[in-house]
Amino acid sequence: MSPTVNSPSLYRRLLIWLLVPMLALGTLMLVQAYFASRDTADRAFDRLLESASLSIAEQVKRQQGQLWMDLPPAALKMLASNAEERVFYALYDAHDNFISGNAELPPIDDGQGSMRFTNIQWHDMSLRLGVRHSQLEGWRDRQPFEVRVAHTREGREALTQTLFQGSMLRLIAMAMLAIGVVLLGVRMALMPLTQLRRAIRARDPRTLAPLDLTLPRELAELRETLNDLLARMRRVRANQERFIGDASHQLRTPLAGLSARAELALRQDDPRAWHDALGVMRGSADKTARLASQLLSLTRLNNPESMPEARDIDLCDIARQAVRDALSSCHRAGIDLGVETPPHAVIQLAVQWQLAEALANLIDNASRYGASRITVRVGEAPTRLEVEDDGPGIPEAQRLLVLRPFHRGMEGGQGSGLGLAIVDGIARAHAARLTLVPARPNAEPPGLRVRLHFPEESTS
Amino acid sequence: MTAPYRSLACWVLALAGMLLSAMSRADDAHVLRYAAPHEATAQPLEIYGALDNDLMAPLLADFHARYPDIELTYRNLTTLTLYRRFLAEDEASADVVMSSAMPWQYQLANRGHAQALTTSAARQWPQASRWRHELFGFTFEPVVIVYRRDALEGATPPDSHEALLRLLTHERQRLTGRVVTYDPWRSGAGYTYATEDAHMSPRYWELVAALGGVKAALADTTGEMLDGLADGRYAVGYNLLGSYARDFVADHPQLEMVIPSDYALVTQRLVLIPNRAPHPETAERFVDYLLSRQGQQVIRDKTPLGAVHTALEGEGTARDLRKTLGDALHPIAIDPSLLATLDTLKRHSLLERWQREYTRLSDNGP
Repeated sequence: MSPTVNSPSLYRRLLIWLLVPMLALGTLMLVQAYFASRDTADRAFDRLLESASLSIAEQVKRQQGQLWMDLPPAALKMLASNAEERVFYALYDAHDNFISGNAELPPIDDGQGSMRFTNIQWHDMSLRLGVRHSQLEGWRDRQPFEVRVAHTREGREALTQTLFQGSMLRLIAMAMLAIGVVLLGVRMALMPLTQLRRAIRARDPRTLAPLDLTLPRELAELRETLNDLLARMRRVRANQERFIGDASHQLRTPLAGLSARAELALRQDDPRAWHDALGVMRGSADKTARLASQLLSLTRLNNPESMPEARDIDLCDIARQAVRDALSSCHRAGIDLGVETPPHAVIQLAVQWQLAEALANLIDNASRYGASRITVRVGEAPTRLEVEDDGPGIPEAQRLLVLRPFHRGMEGGQGSGLGLAIVDGIARAHAARLTLVPARPNAEPPGLRVRLHFPEESTS
Repeated sequence: MTAPYRSLACWVLALAGMLLSAMSRADDAHVLRYAAPHEATAQPLEIYGALDNDLMAPLLADFHARYPDIELTYRNLTTLTLYRRFLAEDEASADVVMSSAMPWQYQLANRGHAQALTTSAARQWPQASRWRHELFGFTFEPVVIVYRRDALEGATPPDSHEALLRLLTHERQRLTGRVVTYDPWRSGAGYTYATEDAHMSPRYWELVAALGGVKAALADTTGEMLDGLADGRYAVGYNLLGSYARDFVADHPQLEMVIPSDYALVTQRLVLIPNRAPHPETAERFVDYLLSRQGQQVIRDKTPLGAVHTALEGEGTARDLRKTLGDALHPIAIDPSLLATLDTLKRHSLLERWQREYTRLSDNGP
């Protein structure tokens, strides 16, 4: 399952985020254009209602005590466009009495001004009604009256359609142009990404040299991150190379010793000498085997791919077991090995074999570097494991260096130089903090206390 | 030969009756029936028309011959009865309504009482002779001047409104009492023509004054005027319906018919299919036939009504008249100005003016 299957490409994502809102906006604009067209058509045709009603109103006069008009046929013609609308007109007096007309049209009560417009539904027809308030222009008589004119909406709809189609065509043309620009723009904007991809793909898989490529700011950050990663990988590789060199050197020395010893023994005829040689060779072989197993554990610890299962374990058990394991060898060397644990279990999420390995290494280290008393201790709040000895300790300046593989705290010591490096690796695997402090700072020798602080949250 | 005049009289009287609300006329509807041969498959079609049976018969017969399955009933009503019956909600509606009363037909269609017809014949119908595909003018009848040759010897024949005005002014003595025209009060057609005439030119009022000057007789129908001209009572008749006058003049050699050359009004009979038509399919077939080349051919060949169809030529057709008269031809427009004709106040104004002009010369004259 490749990640490209699950998440859409950046190109598509950009297109979707640009085009979908654009489409929504376009739809909105179309709706707006329709309403604007209808408004314009209504305004244009309302002018017809206005002028028709005006030319009717001008013909209204008073005759024989009542309202009178000589209806101009042109006024009615004016109300109909090419769409052949149905037209209606009526003259009403001030008291809303029908005077003359071809339809009894309703008044418009709300609105301002002398000319008012509204849409009405009248006898199953939708009409646009215009009502003109006017009054007689006489010397004495200024009687008000209303001219109401109405027509059906065919002409308005036709004009709306025409206007809307025009707007729609323009909008579509603009949308096409915008889509083209967006497609081009996105392609152009993503070009550096393609360059970066090509540059990475074209690299020799063995080189870890930094990328040298001129990129836009956003991608330059990515390039810097990538270069940082490459730098770290370079360092890791250098470490590994040195480690491999050191390891092979370390393995070669005892093996060469073994070989030399065997040769020496072979030149002699005395079986006793052979026996002695074999004894020495067995010791050498044990040491080499131990070195090899330490190298193996260090490799396992350093392998980021291996994810050992962590479980809740009791640190007291671990401590007691480690002391039991080391007891006989310490006893032989005359070292006082002890354990201090709380009366109850101290539970910690950890990998059992790693902690056992760490303790074994620390006890071994202490015994090799001249301690006469070693105490393994389990503490709480914060949860910790300690190994304390009364040996010579490690000077302040050496404390970080001793964590590196094959560094020996003391020249000519018997250790492999891997013990503390392994402990450090284990501490890191558990996100625990490793501290090296003198056990008794003011005494001589100061001794050494190696402590593993486990993080608080992982206890829960 | 009197049938056309009776029909005309019917609607003219009806209009007059309605406008004055004074005259009432019994509904003496004549009915024409064409039965379908097979009762079972018969599709009914009911037509109400203000056209006389004699005029309708050739059309209906031809239609029936083409569609024998349609059981046809034609009811000849006056325009007034037609209009009232149409608006009466409880009356069963006709399938097709035909009338020469243009304003009233227009009023019905304008109120949305007509349904649209969109057959190919209807779509191709000339724009000037239809309104919204709801109202179709299917005849073309000019309004004419008829005079007696013997009575006008030595004078210029009145071949235009201008010439008529000159004639009436110059020969006032000789023509007094011998001129006849429509009575605009009593005749709806006369009123419609007066409206259109007044609209065409303000000089119409001079003509009305001149008509008053010769004490022109006022008649209700074209038939009445033609009869008076034939028996010598009148020398000149103004604003006669050309479709009737044409045949009559052909039979009376002493009469001469002229279509005014300055402008000639043309009236059309309008047909519509009501919304409430119980049999819209047969109604559509009939109106489609009326507007088809075949139907128009029958109108041209067997009636004096004048065919409108653009493809038809021959005497009395719209195409022929347009060719001879050109711009002078002035068909009464099927547009909202017809509604103005129906306005009661407008009518009063116009008739008052007419009365004033008509009596102007006689009051001041010798």
